[in-house]
Amino acid sequence: MTLTSQPQAGTGVQPQPVPDSPGSGRFGAGGFPWVMSGAVALSVCGASLSLNGVLRGWAWFLPVLTTVVVVSLTMALLRTFRAQPLLVAAGGLASLALILTFTFFRRDSIAGFLPSQATFDALGRHLRRASETVLAESSPVAPNAGIVLVACAALGLVVILVDALALPLGMPATSGLGLLAVLVVPAMIKPQSVGWLGFVTTAAGYLVILACSQWFAPDARTQADTARNPGQVRRAALTGGVALVVTLLLQLVVPGFDQGMFPQGSRLNPWGTATGLNPMISLGNSLRTPTGEGRITYATNSTAPLYLRSVTVDRFDGESWSPDDRNANRRAGTGRMDAGHEILAPEQTRQVTVVNTGDFTSPYLPAPYAPESVNGLTGRWSWDPATLSIKGTDTNSRDQQYVVQSSVPKLTTELLDASSAPVQGVPEEFIRPPSNVPDIVRTTAESVTADSRTAYAKAMAIQRFLRGPDFTYSLESPVQGGYDGNGLSVLADFLTQKSGYCIHFASAMAVMARLEGIPSRIAVGYAPGRQTGATVSVAGQGALPEYEVDARDAHAWPELYFQGLGWVPFEPTPSRGVVPPYAQDSSASGGASTNEQNNDGLVPSSGATAPSSAPAPAPLPLPGSGTADAGNQLAPALYTAAGVLLLVLLAASPRLVRGGIRARRLRGTDTGRNRLAEPPLVWSELQDLATDYGVRPEPSETPRTFSARLRGSPAMRLRDESDPGGAPDTGSGPGDDAGTFHAQFVHAVTVLTDAYERHQYGRPAGQDATRYGLPEEAAVEHIGQVRQSLRRNAGIVGRLRADWLPPSVLSRWGSVARWPFGVLGRAASRVGHAASVLWRRTRSGLRRLRAG
Amino acid sequence: MEPHRRITIDEALPGGQGFSGSTARGVNPYNGHKSVPLEAPAFRAASERILSAINTVIDGKAEAAKLALTVLLAQGHLLLEDVPGVGKTLLAKTLARTIDCSVSRIQFTPDLLPSDVTGVSIYNQSSRQFEFRPGAVFANIVIGDEINRASAKTQSALLECMEEHQVTVDGHSYKLGEPFMVVATQNPIEMEGTYPLPEAQRDRFMARISMGYPDKDSEIEMLETHQATSPLARVKAVVTAADVAAMIATVQQVFVSEAVKEYTVAVGRATRDSAMLRLGASPRSLLQLLRAAKATAALDGRDFVLPDDVVAVAEAVLAHRIILDRKAASTGETPQGVIRGVLARIPVSQEMTDTANSGRTAPELRPSR
Repeated sequence: MTLTSQPQAGTGVQPQPVPDSPGSGRFGAGGFPWVMSGAVALSVCGASLSLNGVLRGWAWFLPVLTTVVVVSLTMALLRTFRAQPLLVAAGGLASLALILTFTFFRRDSIAGFLPSQATFDALGRHLRRASETVLAESSPVAPNAGIVLVACAALGLVVILVDALALPLGMPATSGLGLLAVLVVPAMIKPQSVGWLGFVTTAAGYLVILACSQWFAPDARTQADTARNPGQVRRAALTGGVALVVTLLLQLVVPGFDQGMFPQGSRLNPWGTATGLNPMISLGNSLRTPTGEGRITYATNSTAPLYLRSVTVDRFDGESWSPDDRNANRRAGTGRMDAGHEILAPEQTRQVTVVNTGDFTSPYLPAPYAPESVNGLTGRWSWDPATLSIKGTDTNSRDQQYVVQSSVPKLTTELLDASSAPVQGVPEEFIRPPSNVPDIVRTTAESVTADSRTAYAKAMAIQRFLRGPDFTYSLESPVQGGYDGNGLSVLADFLTQKSGYCIHFASAMAVMARLEGIPSRIAVGYAPGRQTGATVSVAGQGALPEYEVDARDAHAWPELYFQGLGWVPFEPTPSRGVVPPYAQDSSASGGASTNEQNNDGLVPSSGATAPSSAPAPAPLPLPGSGTADAGNQLAPALYTAAGVLLLVLLAASPRLVRGGIRARRLRGTDTGRNRLAEPPLVWSELQDLATDYGVRPEPSETPRTFSARLRGSPAMRLRDESDPGGAPDTGSGPGDDAGTFHAQFVHAVTVLTDAYERHQYGRPAGQDATRYGLPEEAAVEHIGQVRQSLRRNAGIVGRLRADWLPPSVLSRWGSVARWPFGVLGRAASRVGHAASVLWRRTRSGLRRLRAG
Repeated sequence: MEPHRRITIDEALPGGQGFSGSTARGVNPYNGHKSVPLEAPAFRAASERILSAINTVIDGKAEAAKLALTVLLAQGHLLLEDVPGVGKTLLAKTLARTIDCSVSRIQFTPDLLPSDVTGVSIYNQSSRQFEFRPGAVFANIVIGDEINRASAKTQSALLECMEEHQVTVDGHSYKLGEPFMVVATQNPIEMEGTYPLPEAQRDRFMARISMGYPDKDSEIEMLETHQATSPLARVKAVVTAADVAAMIATVQQVFVSEAVKEYTVAVGRATRDSAMLRLGASPRSLLQLLRAAKATAALDGRDFVLPDDVVAVAEAVLAHRIILDRKAASTGETPQGVIRGVLARIPVSQEMTDTANSGRTAPELRPSR
C-alpha cells in the first residue's frame, strides 16, 4: 500500500472560514453550518481514503473529493439561508446529481451539467460497466468511470445521510453509522483492512462532528440536549475519543489483532484466499469453491507428485483445532532450515521447487516438505523447527516467488517396517494423546489395529480402514450432517457417518495413530496439482515443468513420525491426492489415483456451469472464523456492506424516529423572555413514554384519569412494595431512595398533567390568546424524570423494547400501514351499499312495470 | 289552614312580610343587585364548611352531599330517588339548614292543589284589595317530599316555578328568591296510585341521585349518634344566602373551553345515536350538564372545566333524562350503564393534538342491530 506517499486529503476540505464569529470563543449561528459541513466532508473523505486498495491507484480520489465537497457546501449554503431540513437534504441530492453529471457525463448533458436523455443512457452504460467490474474483477479493481461513478454517488449519499443524522435529527453520535458503512467495504475486501490513514481521518472527522454539535448551539435542539442532560454531548465526544484510543491500544494486546488496523475484516474475509489463522476452517470452503481461486503455480524437478504444505495442526484437544504457531520457538530467516531430527534413511532425494503464489493470501507459505532453504522471499519470514512451517512475521504469501530446496528420504515399505525403534527427539505435543477422546474413536482405533504389531503396520491398517469401501468422500454430507469442521466430536460424527472429506480422514488417521502411540500431526496444504504445459527455467536445473493448484486442490493429510525416517505423509482420503508408494498396500495396487481423475467428480467441468451447482456454503460455528462464503468477487462485499448498513438503519430506525420525535416535541418556541414548550406536544411525549413502557393511553380517558393510572401503574410501583405481580426489580436500592424517586416521578407527572390541562381547557391567558406554556427546561427535566423512573422500574426486556422497538412508534407505523386498507374497505362498503340500493330500485321498478 | 294542606314551613321566611306586596321586586335582598364572585380561597372555605356540616349529620354519604351542593351552586334542582329511610329528606334538610336561608317543605299528596304550592290571591276585606299570599315555593330551598304522589297539575305548577324562577298568579308575576333550589324526593317502589313524573318534567331536574344504603361502619355510627337526639338539631347555618349567591356567581365565571364543549356535545350526540336508547340527552340536559360540571370544577378549586368534571356529573345529570329502548331494557341494561358505556367509548380529545393520537379512532358508536 502506498498510503503515506499521498497528499493529505483532508486539507482540501478544511472547515470553511467563518465570516461572522463573535469573539466569545463560540461561533455564531452563521458559521455553524459551514464548520459542520466541513466536518462531515472531512470524515467522509477520510473514510473514502481507505478505499485505496479496493480501487487501484489514486485517480479516483479527485472525483470523490469534488463530489463530497460540492454536496457539503451546497447543504451548508442552504442551511445558512435557514432552509427547512428537508429542503437541505433535497438540495444536497440535487447538487449530487448535478456534480455527478458534470463530472461523468459532461458531453451527454445539457450545458454540461443538466441531465438529459443521453445522460441516462450513459448512466446505464456506466452502471453496467460498474456491475461487470464488481462481478468479474478481484480487488483492487481498476478505477474505471463506472466504478468511480458508483463510489462518488454512494459517498455523496453518505454525506447527506451523515449530515441528516448529525443535524436535523440531532443525533450526532449516530452519524458514525454512515462512516462505518464506508469503512466496511475496505475492511471486508482488503487484506490490510482499513489502513491507518483512512481510519485516522475518519475518526478525526467524526470527533469534529461530535465536538461541533456541542460547541455550537444554533437552535433549540442542542440547547434542549444540554438542558436535558448537561454536558451530554461533551461526554459523548470524550467517550468516543477514549473508545478510539482504547481500540487502538487494545489491538496491540489482544492476540489476533496484530495484523492490519481496524477492524480485522480480512480475517472474516471469505473472498480472498486469505486463510487467516486457521486454514483448517477455510479448507472445506476452499474445496467447495466452484471456480479455482488462489491459483498457485510451481515448477519442480521432483518426479513424485508433490504436496505443498502450509501449516500443520498437532494439538487435538479442544473443540476446534488450529495451528499452533509456537511463536516463541520460531526462528527468523528461511535461508537454512533443519527439522532437527536425524534421518537414517540410506538415500535422500533433493528437490528444487519454484513457487509463484499469485493472489493466494495466507500468513503461511506453501512449500514442499521438508524444506531446507527458501530463497527469493520478500518480507520477513520465520520458521518453526518442530513443524517446518513458514510464516510471515510482517507480510503474507501474496505475490511471492521463491525457490524451495527440500529433501525427502527415499522411503520403502521395508524401511518403514523396520523402523521399530522407540521414538526420540520429537516434541511432547506430537506424542501426547488428546484428552477425552470419544469412545468410538478409541474403540475404532483399537479394533482396526488389533492385528498389527509394528507402527507401520498400524498406520497401514488405519489407512486401509479409512480408504476402505465403508468410507465415502463427500464435501456435502458433513455440512448436511452438521459436523463440518474439525475437533474430536466432529471426528466421532465422521466415524459414525463414514462420509467426509480430507480434513476428516486426515484427522481420523492422525488421532487414531496417536492413540496407538505413533506421533502424528495433520498437514494442511495442497494436493499435487495439474501440469499447465508451460515450463519454467530455473538456474542450475534447466526448464522444469510447471504445475498449478488452486482452492479446489486444498488438502489435508496426516504425517506420522517414524524413528530414523522423520515425518512420513500418508494418504487416507479416498479418491484424493496420491498414495505414496511406501504406503500402498500390495492388495490395493489400484489405490493410486490422480487428482485430475477425481476432480471431475468433484467439480463439474471447468466452471462453466459451476455457480448454479455450487454447494451452499455453511456457516461454521467456530470462534474466530466468522461467516464463511465462497467467491472472490467484489459484489458480495458491496452487497453485504449495503445490506449491513440497511439492516442497522432498519433496526435502529424506530429508535431514531422516537428520538427525533422526542427532540422535536420538547423544542420550545421563543417568547422573548424564555422558551416555552407546547404542553400538548409534551403531553403526547408523556403518553408515548407511557406507551413505550406498557401503559397505553385510552382515547376515552381524560388527561387526569390517564395521569392517575400512570402514577398508580405497576410500571411505576414503588419497588419496595411487595407485589408479586408488580414490575420486576432491577436491582436492590435503598427503600427511601426509591421513595424519593417515586415522589419525583409523581410530581413530574402531576406538573405535566397540570400544564396540559391548563393549556387545553384553561382560560386563555392574555388578549392574544396565548395559551399557557411550559418552560422548555422544565418540560425537558420532567420528561427526563418520568423516563428515568420508568426505565428504572422496567425490566431489561422492557427497557430494550422501549429503546429499540418503542410501541408508540410501531403502533403509529402500523396505523399508517393500515390506512390504505381502511380507505379501501370504506370505499368498497360504500360501493356495495350503492349497488344494493341500485339493485333494489331497479327490481322494484321492474315489478312496478310488470304490475302496471 | 285548610285541613288538606300539608305545608309546613320549617323556618320563618326572613323576608316573609315582603311577600305582602303585589310585586316580587325586593322580595329578597339578593335579587336586586348582582353578587360579587368570591375569590378562590373564600370559595373553598365556604364549600368546605358546608360539606363538613352536612357530613356531620349524614354519615358516609360525602359523594351525595357534594353532588347536592354542586346542584345548588349550578342553580339546578335535585331529584333524590331512593327507597324510604335512607336519608333523602335528611340530606335535603341538612343542606338547607347549613345555609342561612329560607326553607320550606311540601309533602306532596294527591289532593295537594297547585295554589298550595304557588300561593293564592285573597281578597282583603280591610284594604279591599286582593292580596297575594305566597305559597310554599317562596323559599330559597324548597323540599318536595314524594313528588310523585301529587297530581300532574300540582306537579306542573311546581315545575313551572323551577324553570322560570317566578310564580304567576292572576296575571302578576312574582319573582322567587335567589338562590332557589328544589330538592324533590321520590320513592321508586310502591308506585301504586302515584303520578310518575313525565320525561319532560324529569328533565327540569338538573340531577337525580340515589342515596344508597350506608356502609357498615357508617350505619353503626349512625345508630349510635342518632339515638337520642335528632342530629339535625345540632346543625347550624355556616354560610349566608348572600354567600351562596356569591358562590353561584363564582361558578358562573368558570371558564369552559371549546374542547370541553365539544366533548359535552359528543357525549350528548352519542346518547342520541345509541341504539340502546329510545330518547337521548336533550340540548337542555347538555346545558345543565355543563353547568353542573362548572360547579364541580369550582368545588375542585379550578377556574376552568376539565372533561373529568363532565364525566363526574354525567351519570347523575343524564341518567334520568334518557329512556331505554325496550329491547335494551329487557336485557337488564340500565340508563346509568348506557351513560357509562358512552363515556368509555368516545374519545376525550375531539381534535387530535398531535400525531400521537392519530390512527386511534373511537369504535363505532352505533352497535349493529
